[in-house]
Amino acid sequence: MNMQTTEKIPFITLVGPPNSGKTTLFNYLSGKNYKTVNYPGATVEYSISKLLKKFNINVNIIDSPGIVSLNAHSPDERISIDALFNHPLFGQPELVVVTVDSSQLSRHLLLVKQLQNCGFNLIVALTMSDMLWKKQQEISLSKLRIILGCEVIRIDGRTGEGINNLLNAISVHLEKKKSINDKPVLNHLTNNDRHSLLNIYKEIEQIENDVVFEIDANGNGFNLEAANAELKLITPAAGRKTKYTLDAATLKIDKILLHPKLGAVFFFLIMSATFASIFWLADPLMGMVDDFFALLSNETAALLGNNWFSDFVSSGIISGTGSVLVFLPQILILFLILGLLEDSGYLARGAMIVDKPLSKIGLNGKSFVPMLSGFACAIPAMLAARTIPNRRERLLTIFILPLMSCSARLPVYALLIAFLLPSDQLWLGGIILAAIYIFSISSSIIIAGILNKFKNKIVKEDDNSSFIIELPAYRKPKLSFILTNSYMNAKIYIQKAGPVILGFSIILWFLTYFPNTNPEIDTNGLTGSEIIQAQEVERLSTSYASELGKIIQPFMTPIGMDWRVGVSLIAAFAAREVFVSSLALIFKVTDGNENTLQESMLRSMRDAEVGNTGQKLFTTATITGLIIFFVFALQCLSTVAVSKKETGGWRIPVLQVIIFTSLAYSLTFITVNGLRALGVN
Amino acid sequence: MKKASELQYGEKLKISEIDFTHPSSQRILEIGFTPGQEIELIIRPLFNDPLAFSVRGSLIAIRKDEADCIKVA
Repeated sequence: MNMQTTEKIPFITLVGPPNSGKTTLFNYLSGKNYKTVNYPGATVEYSISKLLKKFNINVNIIDSPGIVSLNAHSPDERISIDALFNHPLFGQPELVVVTVDSSQLSRHLLLVKQLQNCGFNLIVALTMSDMLWKKQQEISLSKLRIILGCEVIRIDGRTGEGINNLLNAISVHLEKKKSINDKPVLNHLTNNDRHSLLNIYKEIEQIENDVVFEIDANGNGFNLEAANAELKLITPAAGRKTKYTLDAATLKIDKILLHPKLGAVFFFLIMSATFASIFWLADPLMGMVDDFFALLSNETAALLGNNWFSDFVSSGIISGTGSVLVFLPQILILFLILGLLEDSGYLARGAMIVDKPLSKIGLNGKSFVPMLSGFACAIPAMLAARTIPNRRERLLTIFILPLMSCSARLPVYALLIAFLLPSDQLWLGGIILAAIYIFSISSSIIIAGILNKFKNKIVKEDDNSSFIIELPAYRKPKLSFILTNSYMNAKIYIQKAGPVILGFSIILWFLTYFPNTNPEIDTNGLTGSEIIQAQEVERLSTSYASELGKIIQPFMTPIGMDWRVGVSLIAAFAAREVFVSSLALIFKVTDGNENTLQESMLRSMRDAEVGNTGQKLFTTATITGLIIFFVFALQCLSTVAVSKKETGGWRIPVLQVIIFTSLAYSLTFITVNGLRALGVN
Repeated sequence: MKKASELQYGEKLKISEIDFTHPSSQRILEIGFTPGQEIELIIRPLFNDPLAFSVRGSLIAIRKDEADCIKVA
């Protein structure tokens, strides 16, 4: 039933060149209700939404990555073009809405003309008129409509201006379409060759001459209708009447931000500010989330009493949920800053600055955005790598992305650093964390460089390495738009990663609680809480987890750890932050007088000993070793799944797991034993 | 006739031809570098590469070796 009704709904595809305001328009039309079907297991890879109810038109609308032309140079462009010509679910669109930046008419009309030549039904949405007005120019909509022979609407997806006109045009078009049979569109290669391109550009230059005109320098009270009417009286003179100009403010800012020498300084400052704000802004928020779930878990345990169900709810479900949500602030803040950088126009410039150094190690300037996203999560980062045209560079980027210090490592580092530091020197934590980040960035550069030496073994074919990117004019970022985007990213993350992490927390709870649920212990001379504690110790040491742990004990001994850490490390393969909740479960964090989960965990970790040897399990040496392990190990099943999908096979993900995990293990071994040899314990 | 990569700051010249033997030439054409258009070197950043040109009222960054296939006069 449901399937049938969705199939009958007409669908519209939204396309446009990069930076033409396409996604802004899509967000406006769909509200926050779109579904990005991008993740492993999904066969369709586009954002799909119905129009918002308030717009009262029943259509599906599809957003896909920006394209310059109908000729795909990278996988993300391929996705868009496939969506246009043969969408796997919907076939061909009834209508294509093309966004065109008014101030870049000269280049953006290429896509419009190509789509028209293929026979698509078009509506042109002209965006960013304010940028054109700043250049003291204006476009005559009525003339452009006549020349193109399709509807042209001026819109502002940020404010919603003109959207009603666009919606009217869409419904008029859909009404009209009911009576006419669709003729099939032509193959996209029909007007893609060099000569067609040159011809289209000649046509565009003629169109520009007809529709673009200069406006008054103090054009504040400028009357569009009057100007349009007046224009009709003037016969266009031969040759171009208006000049191409760049945005004056952009030129001034670029003189500083892209200065040959100062540019590097600004780049470094902007990146440092990005990371600093992630630490400092996210840290207190993460503490709050952590405190809240610790409280909730304790209260629930107290309320439900001492039985398996109580333990399941408080330790399994509540703590598990807590470990999903604890890194949410960091993800939100990272996407917020990425959004600010992108929306302001700096991100493309950052990519330009790092292109040369990155190309030396086999990467591309376009690896910059994926690598930056990798600091939030490797999954969206691998998808972002689709913008890299060269296959070898894209695979190498995907290869090293797991080394970017993703936010899931943060709770782990936070716990391990807290263990290393005396409580009066907590301020050092930020510095150590920064050092870990710098260490992981340098390591990934070195590893990329080494891998680049073996590039012929990783990817056999070699294609053209290219970096051609538009540097958009600087704009004041629109906060509400960025907030929506961060919210969407965080939501997708929780939907995708949440169930996995929670699921593994529950499995782990089961492994640590069963089979000996009611251990028999000698209760002589013990108080109530001591009995509970002794029971828990006994239950754990006879649990499935400990059985499992004993199998991996031989691997853990050389790096100075025991089966309990081993079980947590295995659990961390679900997602790295599970390491923390797993340690919390294994080192049975009981009531205690501490305020937070972390404090009581640190206490039981300080008391833990390796077997019955009397040797402390967690020392400066082993904790440092664990940090090193987490820097390198690929411990995220979701990442492996996405890597397989994005690289088109098991080769790359298997290599990643083997190389990174064995590297992590050997470096941990060297660190722990090296530190011990130096007398650090 | 010289290559776009040899332009000096502020020097505006018209594109006379595109070297279609270069594998990036198709994208260069698509992004707006067509014969007859005037281009100007706007940004020469750290490392001198990539370069940013003004073409058709937009700012486009492009690697130096790719800019080699744009001939100007």
